[in-house]
Amino acid sequence: MRKITNISIVLTLLFSVVLSGCGSTDQTSTDSKDSPSNREIVVAMVTEPDSVDVHKTSSIEDATEPLYETLFKRDKDGNIVPNLVEEYSMSSDGKEGTFKLKTGLEFHSGKPVNAEAVKKSFERMMAISPFNSNLGTVEGIDVVDENTFKIRWAEPYAPFFSNATSEFLAPLDVSVLDRQGEGFEKNPSASGPLELVEIKRGDSLVYKPNEKADWGEKGAPGFDKVTFRFIPDDETRLLEFKKGTVNVLLNVPIQYVEELEKEPGVTLERVPDYVLNYLGWNNKLPIFQDVRVRQAIALAVDREPIIQTTMRGEAKPVFGPLPSVVFGYSQTIEDKAKEKYAHNVEKAKQLLAEAGWSETNANGIVMKDGKPFSVDLWVTNEPAKQRAAQIIQNQLKEVGIEVKIAVKESAAIIEQTPKGAHQMILWTYGWFDADVMYFLLFGKGRSTRLHYEVDELDHILQRARVETDTKARLKLYEEAQEFLLEQTPFVPLFVRESITATRGLEKFEMHPISNAIQWKEVEVGQ
Amino acid sequence: MTNYFLKRLLAMVMTLIGVSLIVFMMVHLIPGNPVTYILGDFATEEMVKELESRLGLDKPLPIQYLSYMSGVMQGDFGTSYITGYSVMEEILNRIPITAQLAIYSVLFGSFVGILMGTIAAVKHNTIFDRLAMLVSLIGISAPSFWIALFLILIFSYHLSVFPISGYTGFYSLILPSITLGLGSAGNIARMTRSSMLEVIKQDYIRTAQAKGANLYRLVFHHCLQNALIPVITLIGMQFGYLLAGAVVTETVFALPGIGSLVVSSIATRDIPTVQGLILFMAFMFILVNLIVDLLYTKLDPRIQFD
Repeated sequence: MRKITNISIVLTLLFSVVLSGCGSTDQTSTDSKDSPSNREIVVAMVTEPDSVDVHKTSSIEDATEPLYETLFKRDKDGNIVPNLVEEYSMSSDGKEGTFKLKTGLEFHSGKPVNAEAVKKSFERMMAISPFNSNLGTVEGIDVVDENTFKIRWAEPYAPFFSNATSEFLAPLDVSVLDRQGEGFEKNPSASGPLELVEIKRGDSLVYKPNEKADWGEKGAPGFDKVTFRFIPDDETRLLEFKKGTVNVLLNVPIQYVEELEKEPGVTLERVPDYVLNYLGWNNKLPIFQDVRVRQAIALAVDREPIIQTTMRGEAKPVFGPLPSVVFGYSQTIEDKAKEKYAHNVEKAKQLLAEAGWSETNANGIVMKDGKPFSVDLWVTNEPAKQRAAQIIQNQLKEVGIEVKIAVKESAAIIEQTPKGAHQMILWTYGWFDADVMYFLLFGKGRSTRLHYEVDELDHILQRARVETDTKARLKLYEEAQEFLLEQTPFVPLFVRESITATRGLEKFEMHPISNAIQWKEVEVGQ
Repeated sequence: MTNYFLKRLLAMVMTLIGVSLIVFMMVHLIPGNPVTYILGDFATEEMVKELESRLGLDKPLPIQYLSYMSGVMQGDFGTSYITGYSVMEEILNRIPITAQLAIYSVLFGSFVGILMGTIAAVKHNTIFDRLAMLVSLIGISAPSFWIALFLILIFSYHLSVFPISGYTGFYSLILPSITLGLGSAGNIARMTRSSMLEVIKQDYIRTAQAKGANLYRLVFHHCLQNALIPVITLIGMQFGYLLAGAVVTETVFALPGIGSLVVSSIATRDIPTVQGLILFMAFMFILVNLIVDLLYTKLDPRIQFD
């Protein structure tokens, strides 16, 4: 017995030692996690990006953004300005664009960022990226000279410039790929301000500053190393930050804001998010066919209690179809929407009655043809969303609409809503260009969540896509929003304040529109 | 013995085929399509169809299953739809952390559990017995996330003895191992106590006492050795469960182990990764139980498998 026990213990310990050796992290990194070195910045975030390869993901995360430099960028006022591109010109019919890159640009690998590299990167994007439609209907890309490339479109594509401010269109170094076009994760190289040093799957991404990048007036980066750590548990993330082992806490959970505001040495930065939370429904269902019903729902919803209760006031109400940071937003439309759909229970009841929903059953639910107005509302398992759903449920009950909340996984909602399996849905969308109304919300064959495809709206949005004159394009989007205001196929609710907590940094800046960390403006403290 | 071993191996293969079939059916039956997840909000019907075709998801389910199993037989568990990494590579990256966590937890749980159970049995119906059972009850019933946060607050946040989260080697696994081991310790203590109490009542113990065997020899040689068989079974089961990933503990301590990978893979409907992980977990569970069964013959020579 003793012999067997001894053997077991020895084997177990040996196994442990072997496995310890297999671990991907060595002991030296223990120190780095205990306390960041003087020139290291540790950023804590909830989830790990699917992939660092921008052509293989449908979401760009804070941890992958700095790997890429974009062709165009938005300045702090939201204007689109050249970035990697130095100058450009468009043909009079808007079907051809000639772009000249800045000279002397290099990828992290040391290879030049030239016209050939951009062409190959675009070709790969068109072949494999879920976002390939963001390039428009490209007929061909030509290399004019070392630094100049030309894009030929089948028809003008106005959102190109806006899309080119996103990392999805940023050039990556295809020379690091193998013959199958794979292997970027093992040898990542692009031209962003940070250069990826190590990928620890499930744990962290480690970057160093890209020495070849333009670091502005000071000429050098304000740090030596950046580590993005993925810590899914809110409490653990907060404790790491309070302990000082994390310098930047992204997307501070609302419940911790008050606590962090009292914490000495902590700075909280608030930037309005560009993601709009909305209450939507399947507009193809008979129950939502009458515009008066849709308007009644919009009038029944009161945004303020939702924001105060679920967001502790850290959100801004939105009444019009677009949040303020999106190209195409109109203050006039927002004001009109605010006036038209200010919370009004009596008017909502009146509209429902006019639409034939006048009788009520014993539970106070309005009825038509003997059937009660009862709908399912799909919501993800995010606690804040569930609380918002409960408030909406109560608000709609006040006008006689029964809402049954169904909590579902987002993967299930994403799969089932295009099939029209839902009735109501609490969902979000986020994009910087009003073209989102076409390619995501209301375009023919693209209205996967709202199922609202109307010729009149589709025509306006299609015209706006090919309109290269900015003023005329804005006018078209205003027209589209006027239409939506009247037809109310969904109820915009709010945009959150994106709150970032920092400590131990001399300088830190977030972009006021894209919410991205401005690494060129970040500096560690002494 | 050889016959028994071969029979068990055959049963293992059959079980794994059964598991693979059930998992395959389940991941295809639950709502949520990996393709719509990968393509995100902006997917069109054509894009969905194209990607489904590229991933082979447009083929009939039996063909998909056979194709998957043919890969598995050759050691190819496929490639993650979401990350593009080989599933085997993902598992091999994560298993060292989960395996270490399981081993340390089981060692801690077994040591504390057997010790508490033995004291409780020897000091039956005394304050030691009640105290040991109270501690074991707390170990079993306290939620692991609560224990984890409690330990982090005391030992990491206030005393700065251990890192709060992340994997940085042995030190970073001590608190997670205690968190997991406490639950195991509770179960093992209760099992050890009841098994020891049964053995203590046996005639040969009374004989040993009458012959003047000292307490140490009586407890650890005569009683504990014979009371260990059900305890070893329990330890084996606990080890198997832990190897399958301790989801909550790995999440709270931000450990990149198997448990957290299972959760994220299910959420993103990453079918090859989910299938690969569950097959792997089933294999580990069966293997550990086989080893435990084989250990019986060493603990009690009366047990003969042939």
